[in-house]
Amino acid sequence: MSRILALVKVDIRNTFSLSTIKNKLKNRESIVHIVIVLIALISLLPTYYFLVSGLSNIFTVYLNVGQKSMFLLTGILLGQMIVLFFGILYVMSKYYFSSDLNILVPLPLRPKEIVGAKFVSLLIYEYLTLLPILLPFIIIYGIKSDVNILYWLYSTIIILFVPVIPLCISSIIVMFFMRYTNIRGKRDLLRTIGYIVLIIALITIQLKLQSIAERAVADEDFLYKLITDSTFLARRLGIVFPPSMWAALSLSDLSSMSGFLYLLLFVIVSILMFFIMLFLSDRVFFKGLIGNLEVSTSRRAARVRERDFQRSSPPYIALAMKEIKMLVRTPVYLMNSIGGVIIVPIVMILPFFMEDEESVNMLRSVLRDSQQIINLIGVAFITFLGIVNSVCSTTFSREGKNMWIQRTLPIKVKDQIVGRVLASIFVQVIGIIILYGSLAYLGALTLEGIFIIGVLGILGSIPTGEIGMIVDAYRPMLHWDNPQRAMKQNLNVLINMGLGSLYILGIGLLAYKLLDILDIFVIYIIIALIFILSSLVLYKVLKKVIETTFINLE
Amino acid sequence: MLELKNISKTYGKGEVKAVDNISLEVKPGEIFGFLGPNGAGKTTTIKMIVGLLKPDSGKIFLDNIDVWENPLEAKSKISFVPDTPQVYDKLKGIEYLNFIADIYDIPKDIRQERIEKYLDIFQLKDAIGDIIGSYSHGMRQKLVLISALINDPKLFILDEPMVGLDPRSSFQLKEIMREKCNEGKIVFFSTHVLEVAEKLCDRIAIINKGKIIAAGTMDELRQHSKEKESLENIFLELTENE
Repeated sequence: MSRILALVKVDIRNTFSLSTIKNKLKNRESIVHIVIVLIALISLLPTYYFLVSGLSNIFTVYLNVGQKSMFLLTGILLGQMIVLFFGILYVMSKYYFSSDLNILVPLPLRPKEIVGAKFVSLLIYEYLTLLPILLPFIIIYGIKSDVNILYWLYSTIIILFVPVIPLCISSIIVMFFMRYTNIRGKRDLLRTIGYIVLIIALITIQLKLQSIAERAVADEDFLYKLITDSTFLARRLGIVFPPSMWAALSLSDLSSMSGFLYLLLFVIVSILMFFIMLFLSDRVFFKGLIGNLEVSTSRRAARVRERDFQRSSPPYIALAMKEIKMLVRTPVYLMNSIGGVIIVPIVMILPFFMEDEESVNMLRSVLRDSQQIINLIGVAFITFLGIVNSVCSTTFSREGKNMWIQRTLPIKVKDQIVGRVLASIFVQVIGIIILYGSLAYLGALTLEGIFIIGVLGILGSIPTGEIGMIVDAYRPMLHWDNPQRAMKQNLNVLINMGLGSLYILGIGLLAYKLLDILDIFVIYIIIALIFILSSLVLYKVLKKVIETTFINLE
Repeated sequence: MLELKNISKTYGKGEVKAVDNISLEVKPGEIFGFLGPNGAGKTTTIKMIVGLLKPDSGKIFLDNIDVWENPLEAKSKISFVPDTPQVYDKLKGIEYLNFIADIYDIPKDIRQERIEKYLDIFQLKDAIGDIIGSYSHGMRQKLVLISALINDPKLFILDEPMVGLDPRSSFQLKEIMREKCNEGKIVFFSTHVLEVAEKLCDRIAIINKGKIIAAGTMDELRQHSKEKESLENIFLELTENE
């Protein structure tokens, strides 16, 4: 255990760059930088406030039907599911693709010590993600239910343990996944396809369980039980993921012995899961890892043809191609970017797969009558995917240690921007195709839709991509030890989401207001013009930021 | 001509002076060796020339172009080989070379001729279709060298270029450096290997604690020191006194 702690200490120092923070705080430029990032983060607050005040209303609804424990269940379940699903990529990147493995593996350490340490430092990172989600639920419930000190004590313990079980499950899934996909040759492709299938399967299972649980609730005694048992809904719907239910019930049954027992159960199972995960890691971790570190060189692939020497393209295309190749060939980048734009549109229509034929048909006929709205939502969706794919908002961060190449070559800023935006558009086109597929399944795809969503979607991806690039050029995260830190563990992605969502929301609101006044085609043209104009303005800003950053980086 | 005029660079809050008011001139057709103990300021100086570190004060000119005022124009004449050959490890060797050639806008026929020539010289032809991630340190070093030679640079700048190279490639590199210099180009490199500097360089500068403590031809350096035999002795004497 002491070795794990020693490893954790080094890892955390490294992950959060603790050793350089002191120096940064002394430097005036760095302080200005930090302040600007804080301001950008504050831009997320309106959306956050909007969500939290919505939560408050949900609490009132549950309170009115006497099922306020459901409120806690919702929050904890949401938190645990986020850790479970996002954890899969975090774990994969941290356990299998981080550069410190080259140092750790040759050291006389047991697999469980390496995995244990990596687990704990990921856990600490998870708290940072979880707190903004969990705290509103815990605090709203606490304040509105007039609770005592025991509630706050229990909830502190629960918050500490909330990410443990889902992260253990992600770790176990990933370790076995990597163990059995560790096949020479097509390893990366297999793992990417496997990852997409895995996420969709996990979500399908969750949805299936949920619909079974919901059906089970609606029996004849429903109303009677709802009135007599204040934890009835939480108990029934909580079977989707029992640990969330235990945590919720321990807080709602606080005053009784059962509250304490649920807490105990939650904590003990969490600890137990941790040790099971460690036990398994000793057996499977290295089997998925070794071979992963080696890079295959097949003689057949090595053959270079005459025409390979004669490929030539303009600098921006060369840059775009380099970006795309790096994205496609680095599994973690591929899963985050292209994986994301494939998974999101499919997951959106998954609930309809669960429904029976009749209700799907009903939905289809409703959709057929609201084609224009679908087009507009489709455009907003694709534009939003342009933020989710995080290709632009991590484009400089991904350069990492290779940044010197970009800075010493005579590349025009214009080419930097166009090339990198093109790479994002490449990913977007895949997302658009998947969305077409999803819409076609719902019978809501028309020729007009294909055109409008395709053209406006791509036009809209340019300004949101540029916003991401401005953020990433302003504070590129170049020192990372595992590729996930350049992608979704990169604060720039979150800032881009905040700013980008505000941008989309603004245009969405405008389109909504115009719907009653103007013809839909005029609205399409207005949206296109806004996209083009904002692209040009953002281009100017981006150019300035890149020029300054490329000069001042050290 | 490469000119460094009073350039300085400090790290931290002005506490560490990495480079302290350096001035240098390197003429076309010269191989210039930059020597100094670890942490003397060699890499910092080189980074300022190639556009990776902005000097706090002073100017750098290449053929009268201010490299920090007109970076694009200057960079199109410079090629840089860093001390650690960090390159895109998911690209194939040939893809990386083509990428660099595209950026420098090298026509197809010239690019093919140069790439093939240097692949032969450095015996990298068999591996050029492989992913760079599979390369050894030395192979990466060779790839970066080839990529730096594709645009036939006016100023060829190398930071510790011999580290990691096998004896044969090391020899070839020295030949290429000589060839470039005969063509009227400038070769500027830092090294720890004093014999290389002694045999290869037209002029040498020794830097210590951010300051140039001696510069000139081998003969001129000999006159500066009591120990007149080898560069090693001169180097030890000069850096010890500081």
